[in-house]
Amino acid sequence: MNHKTKFQETDIINIVIAGTAGQGVITIKRLIEFAAHDSNCQSIFGSEMHGLAQREGAITSHTRYQKILSHNVRKNLYSPSICYGGADLYLGFEPSEVLRRAQFASERTIFCINSRTIPPILVAAKMDEYPKLETIEKILKEISNNVFFINATEMALDHFDDAQKMNMIMLGFAVASGSIPFIKIDDYKNVIKRELRQPDMNIKAFDLGYEKGKEVFG
Amino acid sequence: MSSKDNRFYLGENKEALMIGNEAIVRGCLEAGVGFVAQYPGTPTSDIGETFQMLLKNDAELREYLVHHWAINEAVAVSECVGAAWAGSRVLNPLKHVGLNVASDPLSVIALNGPGPGAMVLVVGADPGSLGSHQEQNDRFYSWMLHLPVIEPWSPQENKDWIKIAFELSEKHDIPVYFRTSTRVAHSRGIVKLGEIQKPKEKHHFTRNIPKYCSLPPHAINNHVRLYERIEEVRKELPKLGLNRYIEGTNTTGIVTSGMPFGYTMEALNQLNLNDVPIMKLGIIYPINYDEIIGFLQKLNRVIIIEELEPFLEVKIAEICHKNNLKVEVIGQKYFPKFGEYSTGLVSEVLAKIFNKQPSQIMLKAQKYYNSFQNIIPKRFPTFCSGCPERATLYAIKKATNDLENTVIAGDIGCYVMSFFPPNECSDFIICMSGGLSAAIGLSSKTDQNIIAFIGDSTFLHTGMAPLAEAVNYDCNIILFIFVNNWVAMTGHQEVVGVTNHKLSISKICEAIGVKWLKVADSYDPHNLIRTIEKAKTKKGVKVIIIRRECALQANRFRQSEIRKLKEQGEKVREIMYVISNCQMCMECARVLGCPAIRRTTINGQEQMQIDQDRCIRCGVCFEICPNHAINKIDLYPFDKEVSFREP
Repeated sequence: MNHKTKFQETDIINIVIAGTAGQGVITIKRLIEFAAHDSNCQSIFGSEMHGLAQREGAITSHTRYQKILSHNVRKNLYSPSICYGGADLYLGFEPSEVLRRAQFASERTIFCINSRTIPPILVAAKMDEYPKLETIEKILKEISNNVFFINATEMALDHFDDAQKMNMIMLGFAVASGSIPFIKIDDYKNVIKRELRQPDMNIKAFDLGYEKGKEVFG
Repeated sequence: MSSKDNRFYLGENKEALMIGNEAIVRGCLEAGVGFVAQYPGTPTSDIGETFQMLLKNDAELREYLVHHWAINEAVAVSECVGAAWAGSRVLNPLKHVGLNVASDPLSVIALNGPGPGAMVLVVGADPGSLGSHQEQNDRFYSWMLHLPVIEPWSPQENKDWIKIAFELSEKHDIPVYFRTSTRVAHSRGIVKLGEIQKPKEKHHFTRNIPKYCSLPPHAINNHVRLYERIEEVRKELPKLGLNRYIEGTNTTGIVTSGMPFGYTMEALNQLNLNDVPIMKLGIIYPINYDEIIGFLQKLNRVIIIEELEPFLEVKIAEICHKNNLKVEVIGQKYFPKFGEYSTGLVSEVLAKIFNKQPSQIMLKAQKYYNSFQNIIPKRFPTFCSGCPERATLYAIKKATNDLENTVIAGDIGCYVMSFFPPNECSDFIICMSGGLSAAIGLSSKTDQNIIAFIGDSTFLHTGMAPLAEAVNYDCNIILFIFVNNWVAMTGHQEVVGVTNHKLSISKICEAIGVKWLKVADSYDPHNLIRTIEKAKTKKGVKVIIIRRECALQANRFRQSEIRKLKEQGEKVREIMYVISNCQMCMECARVLGCPAIRRTTINGQEQMQIDQDRCIRCGVCFEICPNHAINKIDLYPFDKEVSFREP
């Protein structure tokens, strides 16, 4: 496993988060950005989509940051969206949604994916097919060796009786993978306390994901 | 979680992380804005939501700042200039197509000028049609109406430049066009803050007929004055410092502005083209000729990087032509005139122009993606679980023998999604209330059943006028008005007069002269089907008002009530819908199409199943299942019941 990438402080860190409407893609994106700011990252630029936010649609967001600006102005962060193949971390809340934006991934990408599927209505209506999880995994493993599925929705239901806590478990898991460098764990927790309802429960979910991540990533 | 958002209170030189729209609001507070009016529209709706949130939590702010959700964009822009004429600084946010609605009053407001106050329009463009029905290049309004156009790129520029926009407007008695885009409005970055102004003085309107009454001869005089004002703005450009020059020795240079600047910088870095000079324009109309000529004189070729129809390219080609500059202008011979740009797109095109190898990582990622793209299941936006509009579509299908001999006039609102599969029941969509208007023409040329959709907010926006005309001509149309209490599509802003029950849509319809009007509930689908069947037998305009609160809002409210009761230790009645003995007839999944229903295999047997965490308990599937395979399970029938609230 070569997932322990070494990051330079002037590197632009690229995080894709994908899921379906209502899963908390934008919430988690904002948490990472606020935590990056609290951890004194000098440049942050990320893009999110509003408007169809609750219409069962596909949602993707991009988060990008630099710990320290480069002296060469041409090497810094200028676009809020990631280029094809550019993701360092791909956080997926729904497996087919990870495929939908997989053009942003490359061999250096670490995939952290919630394995619970949310089939689109056309699949229920037998007008479209949902690929098998094994197929999705196989496709992604052609891109990168670092593809990790966890059953975060089930963990959220088991521990908190609340499927929504999946997103915080996924964040904790991804943090443990080491692919969101230069942001301190305490900064995530402070931001959770500042920005979210039920902060204690959310921190517990974050910790649960983090512990799970430690088991996987060491 | 505190109720006051600290980012709007931090003092000078502090930093905050903001999306473009939040930065605009912060900039307005620093500029001392006193009045804001807007009709919601992505990507500018959340400017209003942010103002509303601040006003709700801040009594002092309420003393000097007013925010209105206006009934439509034409009303909003005139409201704004009224406040400006009293001496206030005013903001009018609107989406690019909203500007079409506002353009009639704006064409005169530009002549008159907003003085003694100041007026800034934030126009949210939408290249790529990410949240709109089209992607028009709204920049051309600036040529027609002579409005200075400022184009920010980062949240910092949004915050800083909106203040400059107000100063420019006030100084030159001209409305300023502050043009963002979906990407600019919704990208988050670090913003260094300035000092907040609190304009508490009272204002006063002073009569000035030549200025405010643009009729002949004043209309022509004000037109001349407008040319003069735009030239004054042009003279001031060098002092504003909105343009940015990044030097380089290459004889091919780039002119760009707004978000394409970001893509350009990263694409150049990716291609290792680090000697290309770049001129980033912060103001694209009027243009500072001397600065552009100075930039062009050192070049053999200039590449214009801008989204949609060529705007800067035309201007720069004109400058080259008029000044005999031998510079090849390269723009949309290579770049597409449609869709949103990206770093990848700009990088591919620049590679072609500069004869470079594009990034192999990027090409490989795209190529591999194309190989599996067709197995990704399509996920169209659709009605939320329990949406009363979905249940209405179901009843219409049943009452018309699956839309036999029926035309459906769609419109703008959540019901716009009815054209996506599996519903597929809007035959056309034009613009706000365009559906009902087109239905009038249609009904005079065909005997088909004509059904039109409109929401409460769209009805008030521009729908009353076509309804009056339809009544006047006795058009055979069944109009569904969805009274769900919210401007739901754009994120649940208030519907003027409806959310607070100050006006009654059914009384408006009666006053307009509608003789056949029924108020129905789509959660009772069998009754609704009978109502539609009855409407089909009547001549003239029939109105069916679907009175059900937006399911998202209704469920949020209900869940919060349940939470409160549970926290108080009360037991709450709980209902669940569960499928057993499913015959796989597909009625719930295909004809109704609720996203809480999934197809699954249990013990080798294919069947439908309801996701309990996504079902909001509207009960429509239970009502319509032809095989009675959906069971209603009442968990604690004797405990306290929390129903959906009355709209």
